[in-house]
Amino acid sequence: MRKLALVPALLFLVAAGAHADSPLFTSRATLSSLSGEQIYEHICQGCHMPGGVGAVGAGFYPKLAANKNFVSWTFVALTVLDGRNGMPPFGFPEGQGMKSGPTHLTDAQIADVVNYVRSHFGNAYKAEVTARQVAALPHPKAELIGPQ
Amino acid sequence: MIGATAGSAAMYQAMSSLGFAAESTYRGPIDLQSAPRGASVLILGAGMAGMTAAYELRNAGYKVQLLEYNARPGGRNWTLRGGDRYTELGGHTQQCEFDKDLYINPGPWRIPYHHHGMMHYTKLLGIPLEPFFQVNYNAYLHSSAAFGGKPQRYREVKADYQGHIAELLAKATRQNSLDASVTKEDQEMLLESLRQWGALDASYTYAASDASSDRRGYEKNPGGGLSARPVPSKPIALHDVLDSGLWSGVANGDTYDMQTSLFQPAGGMGRIGEAFGRELGTLIRYNAKVTDIHQDEHGVTVAFTDSREPGARQTVRADWCLCTIPLPILAQIPMNVGQAMASAISAVPYAAAIKAGLQFKRRFWEEDDKIFGGITYTDLPIMNIGYPNTGFQSGGKGVLLGAYVWGMRAMEFTAMTPPERVKKIVGYGSQIHPQYTQEFENGVAVAWHRAPFTLGCFGMWTSETRAKHYEDLCQIDGRIAIAGEHASFLGGWQEGAVTSALDAIGRLHQRAIAQGERA
Repeated sequence: MRKLALVPALLFLVAAGAHADSPLFTSRATLSSLSGEQIYEHICQGCHMPGGVGAVGAGFYPKLAANKNFVSWTFVALTVLDGRNGMPPFGFPEGQGMKSGPTHLTDAQIADVVNYVRSHFGNAYKAEVTARQVAALPHPKAELIGPQ
Repeated sequence: MIGATAGSAAMYQAMSSLGFAAESTYRGPIDLQSAPRGASVLILGAGMAGMTAAYELRNAGYKVQLLEYNARPGGRNWTLRGGDRYTELGGHTQQCEFDKDLYINPGPWRIPYHHHGMMHYTKLLGIPLEPFFQVNYNAYLHSSAAFGGKPQRYREVKADYQGHIAELLAKATRQNSLDASVTKEDQEMLLESLRQWGALDASYTYAASDASSDRRGYEKNPGGGLSARPVPSKPIALHDVLDSGLWSGVANGDTYDMQTSLFQPAGGMGRIGEAFGRELGTLIRYNAKVTDIHQDEHGVTVAFTDSREPGARQTVRADWCLCTIPLPILAQIPMNVGQAMASAISAVPYAAAIKAGLQFKRRFWEEDDKIFGGITYTDLPIMNIGYPNTGFQSGGKGVLLGAYVWGMRAMEFTAMTPPERVKKIVGYGSQIHPQYTQEFENGVAVAWHRAPFTLGCFGMWTSETRAKHYEDLCQIDGRIAIAGEHASFLGGWQEGAVTSALDAIGRLHQRAIAQGERA
C-alpha cells in the first residue's frame, strides 16, 4: 500500500520533464498559470457550456448565467473544491485525488474562476474572493487510493 | 498526473495496482426460482445492467418493464457506424460518415476473458467474438520529448528495458552484492534465468546480438537464399530508455484486466446491446425521460415524459424498481429513499473521457507501418491510438481510434466543439503517423460529459467514499435497488454493470419472496 503510493509521484517526475503540449492544451506545468477565464474555457464549459447556458438531457448541467445561487461565493467555491453530484472535485491536493486523473486547481485559481463566473454571464456580484478565503474552506482530503 | 507520462499505459497499470480493477464475481447463471406469481419489476435504464436484470427477471417469471431515455438499447454499450447521428449536450450534432462495415466504439471496446458475466451473455446472445489485441509488439510507445519525437516500437523498448535490467542484476549477482539475500545455489539459477529473461550473451551482457535481436527485432531480418543473412539491431542505451519515460508503457498488458485473451464483438461492442434489445423487444419503452420516482408501502410509481411528445407526463407502476440510471442524473430526479442512499447517490463524481474515430483513405498503419491491431501509447493529449483488430489487409478504407483520453485533457477536449476536437486529434496523431495529413477523411469525437444519457463516463470512487457510501448505494431501500458499473468494484467495466445487476436482483428476489409469503 505504502509502496503503491510512489507510483503516481514517480511518474509525475517523468511527466514534468517531458511535456510538449500545444498551447491549446494545458499541462501540469502550465495549468497553474491559467486565469479564471481560461479555466472556464478549458474545463468548465465542457459541461456548463460557452456563456454558462447549461444544458438539459436525461439530467441537466445547471445554468451559470443569472444564477441566484451565486449570491453566495462560498457555495460556488465549495462546488469547485468538492464537486457536486456527478461534478468532479478540483480541490484535491496536487498529485492526490480521484483515480482517473485528478485535476488540481490552486486556491488562487479557484478564487479566479469563482470571481469570473460571478461577474460574467449576467452575474454581477462585485465582491472579489481571495485565495486566502478559499484556503479557509474545507478541502477534499488527501488520501491514498488503495485496494478496498 | 499519471496520464501525462510518456506511456499512458502506465495509467492502466497504476489504476490497476491501485485497486481500480478487480476480478469479476460472476459465478455462473443466476438462479431465481419461485418468483411470486404476478410480481412486477420496473427497470430504469436499458444499458448492460438494466437489460441483464430484465432478461433474468423475465425468465424467472416476473412482469418486467424497462424505461430508456435513448431511442436505442445499450446505453454506453454503443457503436457509431456510417449513417448514425449523435447530438451531444450543447446541441452539436455529428453525422458519422464512415464507410460500410467501419465503426468506432465510443464506450467500452474490450472484454477480458475473465469477465465471466460478459462472456456468458455474449455467448447466450450469439454474439461472435474477435480477438482484441491489447499488446502489439510492433505498435508504438511515443514520447514527444524523447528520441526527437520519433515513436519507438514496443518490442524494442520492452526488450531493451528488460535486457539492461537483467544485465545490471547479473552484474550485481556476480559481484556478490546479492549474497545476503540469495544463496549460492540460487545465484546460479538466477544468473541463468537473467540470461534467458533478458536475452543476455554468454558474458551476461545485453548488446547487439542474435539473442537480443530475437527480442527487439533485427536491423535486417533473416530471410531465404543469398540475401538470407540477418543483421542484428543495436539496443537503445539504458540511460535513453530510462530518460525517455517509455518504460512506463512496458507493463501495460500485464495487469489482470489487460491480459490475453481479450475480445471484441464482431461489428462493434454495440452488437451486445442491440441483441439484448431485440431479445427484450417491447418490454423496453424508449425515449422515456424519468422525472420522478416514488415508492410507497405496496410498490413504486415512476413518472416520465416521452421525448417525442414532450410535456405529457405519464406514469408506470410496479412492485419493485431496479434503477440503473447514472448517478449524476439520478441525483437530480426526485426519489423518496432514505438519507443514506440519497447521500451515496450524490457522492460519486463521474470521470471525464473522450474517444474519437477517424476514417482514413487507406490502412496505412498496416500497409506502411506493419501495425495490425493493438494500441500505441503517447504523451500527446490523444494518449492512445487504437488500431482496428479486424479487417486486416482488407484493402479499402479504415477507421482507427484516434484518441482515448481521460482526466484533465479529456475535460479540455470536452470543452471544444466536435469538429475542433477532431481537428486537434488529427493534428496530434500526425506527429506519430505523418500519413494522417494525406489520408484523413472524416471523424467523430464523443465526449462523455456531454452525453445526454450519462453526464460523464463512469463513477469515480475514493477509499473514503467507498467506506462511507458504497454499501448504502447497494442496499435495497424499501422497494428500490440500484445497479450499474457505479455500484461495483469494476468501475467503468461492463462486467461491473452485469455483476451488480445480478447481485441486486438476487437480493430483490429474496425480498419479493419474503413479501409474497407475508401476503
